[in-house]
Amino acid sequence: MHKTIDEYGKVEEKETALVEKEEKSPSMKQKLTASFIRVDGKDAKLAMAHMYVAFIALLLGGLAGLLQVLVRSGEFTLPLGIKIGYYQVLTVHGILLALILTTFFIMGFQIASISRTAGAFTNVQRKIGWTGFWLMLVGTAAAAAMVLLNKATVLYTFYAPLKAHWIFYLGLALVVVGSWLLCIMQILKYYRWKKENKGQTSPLLTYMAVVNSILWITCSLGVAVEVLFQLLPWSLGLVERVDILLSRTLFWYFGHALVYFWLLPAYMAWYVVVPKVIGGHIFSDALARLSFILFLLFSFPVGIHHQLTEPGIEGFWKFVQVVLTFFVVIPSLMTAFSLFATFEMRGRELGGKGVLGWFKNLPWGDARFLVPFIGMVAFIPGGAGGIVNASYQMNQLVHNTIWVTGHFHLTVATAVALTFFGVAFWLIPHLTGRTLTPKLNYLGNVSGILWGIGMLIMSLSMHLAGLLGAPRRSEYSTYGGAEMAYDWIPYQIAQAVGGTILFIAILVIMYIVVQLIWFAPKGEEEFPVATVAPGAEKTPAILENFKIWGVILVALIVFAYTMPIIDIISNSPAGSKGFMPW
Amino acid sequence: MAHKKKAADNLKGTLYMTFAVGFVIIIIWAFCFGLFTDRF
Repeated sequence: MHKTIDEYGKVEEKETALVEKEEKSPSMKQKLTASFIRVDGKDAKLAMAHMYVAFIALLLGGLAGLLQVLVRSGEFTLPLGIKIGYYQVLTVHGILLALILTTFFIMGFQIASISRTAGAFTNVQRKIGWTGFWLMLVGTAAAAAMVLLNKATVLYTFYAPLKAHWIFYLGLALVVVGSWLLCIMQILKYYRWKKENKGQTSPLLTYMAVVNSILWITCSLGVAVEVLFQLLPWSLGLVERVDILLSRTLFWYFGHALVYFWLLPAYMAWYVVVPKVIGGHIFSDALARLSFILFLLFSFPVGIHHQLTEPGIEGFWKFVQVVLTFFVVIPSLMTAFSLFATFEMRGRELGGKGVLGWFKNLPWGDARFLVPFIGMVAFIPGGAGGIVNASYQMNQLVHNTIWVTGHFHLTVATAVALTFFGVAFWLIPHLTGRTLTPKLNYLGNVSGILWGIGMLIMSLSMHLAGLLGAPRRSEYSTYGGAEMAYDWIPYQIAQAVGGTILFIAILVIMYIVVQLIWFAPKGEEEFPVATVAPGAEKTPAILENFKIWGVILVALIVFAYTMPIIDIISNSPAGSKGFMPW
Repeated sequence: MAHKKKAADNLKGTLYMTFAVGFVIIIIWAFCFGLFTDRF
C-alpha cells in the first residue's frame, strides 16, 4: 500500500493533484498512500515518544486530581497507605497536567503536523529533536522525584518564597531547554521549506506550529530568567533572599503566554483538522494566519493582569496591561466566526436549510469532531470568565478564589484537553499504523460526553463557590467553624462528584489510547488536513514576514514591561528567605 | 467569501452565532459586575 516518494507536496492545496499524479506514476518516490500523505516513519517515532509521556502524565495527574476533590469534599481523607500530603498531591496534579501533559503533547503534535505538511525532518533536525525530548524527560524525572520526596511541594506555579530543592528547579530548567531544542528543530524545518519553495505560502499547519514555537521560546525566557537567576541560586544557598515581586512578574510574563501556548495547537486542530473531518474547507487561510499572529502579539504585554491585587506595581501599568488584554477578543472572535462559517458552509452543502438548519448536518457521531466540539463550546463560558478575571476592579471579586480554578478547567482542561484527545484519536493510530475502529470511535464520544458532564458539574460549582469567597489551592477546612465556610461545602461535594466523572472519562481515554497504540487493527488512519475554501482571498505575503512581527512583538514587550520592572527593582525591599511549610 | 450571493451561502447563521457568543460573554460579565457592585 505504501509507496516511497522523494519529495513532499509543496502546498496542501496540491495534495489531491499529487495523489492523482502518484497513482499514474508508481515509480515516484514519496510517502503517499492511495488517499493521503503520511508522517515520515522516523518523525512518527519522535512524535509518539512525546505521546507516551503525555498520556502517562494524564493518568497519574488525573488520579491526583481525583484524590484532591475527594479530600476537599470533607468526606474522605487520603488512604492510610499513602504517605503524601494534600499539597503534594496538588503539586503532582498541576505539574503533570498543566506542564508535562501539555508540553509533551504539543511538541509531539507539532512535529507530526510539520512532517505531514512540509515533509520529513532532516537527520540533523531530528537529532536536535531527540536531544530536546530526552532533556525534557530527564528534567521531568528530576522534578517529579523531588515532588515525590516531599522536597518540592510548591504547586505548579512554584511561587517564591515557597522554596523547593534545587534539583526541582534544575529539572524545570531542563524541561524548558529541551523544549527550546524541539522548537528550534521545527523553525529550522520551516526555513528550509521556505528556502526550497521560494515565493510560496508555507503549509498552514506548519506555519501555525512555527508561530507557537516562537511564542514558546519568547515566553519561556521569562521563567528561565526567574529559575536560573533567582530560584536556583537561592535554593542552592548562594543568596539568602529572593525578590518575590520580581519573580512573580517574570513568572506571569511567562504564565499568560503559556495559556496561548496551550491554546494555539488546539486552534491548529480547529482551523485545519476539523474542517477536513467534517468534509469542508478552511474558511480563509489569511484569516487563520492573521489570528495566530495577533495571538502571538497580544499574549505577551498582558501578564500583569494576573497580578492586579499585587502591591508594588503601579496602577497605571496594571491598567495598560488590562487594556492590552482585551485586544485578544479580536482574534478570539475571528476564530469563532471562521469556525462557524466552516460549519455553516459544510452544513449547507449537505442540504441544511434555514438560518441554523445546517447545524444538524454536522457529523455528530464522529469522535474526531464531537470531542473537540465539546471543547469549543466550553471555551465560550471560559472566555467570558477570563474577561471577568482580567477586569481591573472585578478581579477583586474572584482573585485567589476557586473561581479561577473553575475558569482554567474550562479553558485548558476542557477546550484544550478535549481537542488534544480528539486529535489523539486519529493521530496515534496514524503514527502507529492502526485504525480508529467504530467501537473506539464510540468510546471516544462517550469519553467526551462524560468529560463534558463531569466538567460542567465541577467547574460550575468551582465558579459558584468562588463567587461566595471559597479560596483556591487550600485543603478542606471549616475555617474554625466560620459560617461562610459551611456555604462552600455543598459545592465542594459537587466538585468531588464532577471530578469522579472526569476520572472515569480519563480511564476510558486511556483504554482507547492503549488500544490505538498496541491492539487496534493494523491499517491506515488519515491525518486530516483541510484545504482552503474555493474563492478565498490569496494570503498576503506579509503574514510570513517574521522580521516585522518580531519587531512589533519586542516593541510591545519593551513598552509593557520596562517601567514596571525598573520600578520593581529600584523600589524592592530586601527580599524574602525561603519557606518550607510542608 | 464575497464570490457568491446566493441566500444559502450568506453565512447568516454564522453571523448570528458569533453575535450570540459575544452576547453570552456580555451577560456573564454583567452578572459578575452586579455582584461586584453589591459587594464593594
